[in-house]
Amino acid sequence: MKIKVTEEWCVSQARLEAGAEVGAGVIALDPTFESDDAKNEPIDDSRVALQRFVELSRRQKNLSRQQLAEQADIDLSELEGIETDMHYMPETRTLYQLANVLGVSQKKLMGLSGLTQPKDVSYVEEAVRYAARSESISRLTPEEQAALDGLIAVLSEK
Amino acid sequence: MSIAKVPDISPISLYDPTAGSAVPAELWDGITDKNLGDWEVEWLPELLSRLRILHGQGVARSKWPQSRLWDWRRKLQAIEGLLANQCFSIVCNDMTQAMMITDLTHRAKLDAKQAAHLVYVEYLETAPWNRKEIIGQEPRLSGCGSIMIRAAIELSKEEGFKGRVGLHSLPQANNFYANQVGMEDLGIDKDYQNLRYFELTSEKAEAYITKGQQP
Repeated sequence: MKIKVTEEWCVSQARLEAGAEVGAGVIALDPTFESDDAKNEPIDDSRVALQRFVELSRRQKNLSRQQLAEQADIDLSELEGIETDMHYMPETRTLYQLANVLGVSQKKLMGLSGLTQPKDVSYVEEAVRYAARSESISRLTPEEQAALDGLIAVLSEK
Repeated sequence: MSIAKVPDISPISLYDPTAGSAVPAELWDGITDKNLGDWEVEWLPELLSRLRILHGQGVARSKWPQSRLWDWRRKLQAIEGLLANQCFSIVCNDMTQAMMITDLTHRAKLDAKQAAHLVYVEYLETAPWNRKEIIGQEPRLSGCGSIMIRAAIELSKEEGFKGRVGLHSLPQANNFYANQVGMEDLGIDKDYQNLRYFELTSEKAEAYITKGQQP
């Protein structure tokens, strides 16, 4: 089989590709990504920021997990996974739905989750800093409110 | 067809980001002994040296290239003589730059009622020196992934599958398939080691081809 493709097409797509990972196919001898080995991997700080952002936002709105899951039209188990398991890898749709309900950028939330590789990592670092300022208690303290405000600002489109 | 003795050759171009120029290359519709030799003699030592660096830097295993244990010779032996598999390789400067195995027996998951066939990309890998993430600098050549997906689309059309393509992406490549190729993300597939499954509809396949034609 032969294909016809112009140099312009090749170069245009190659510039976009820019050496990105493109591998596809099962991983043969590798462990699966929910195995015990994966659980023992270090947790990315950005995942902590994602967990803190979702939890703080939910509590600020005085919503239970069940209520937020219903508002976002996602499974409760998905939301629990995001809030309680740093190794949990949410579905793309779940993050889109959460971004819409919580009023932040879908792309940035995807980047924070690790599902996509953000081009600009500065917002991830900033989000991690804000997340580090908050502790988990039932009502938002002024410090937590400030941390949440910072997270929202960093994760917004502008 | 698997190990091809005399493959059909299509002229293509890759891109050298350092020189900022196109480089003439070839798409072969097969994987030959020459390609497997390049993989054994050039790819594997390069990959090993990169793994040593990542290991020395304390980089988590989850961030290592996930195709590091693939054995292309065994993969080809496994499908030797099967008509349902079509292979491709990209050669530039007399060196194999990427390899791909496709399977023509899979059915589309999108619009599952029609159970339409598609070209399923069983394995796709590029040479270590073309992967920015593991060499930590500009790739020697860019564009192999885009060409391989274009080849899968053209094969799909030739087989009467209207450009439909499906694949399970390695985690580090999710961004490429979702955002650059524009494939539909059907989520984690627990039957395939929790890899995400992506599918390209015939409409999205046309959009992908058209996108590259825009100035």
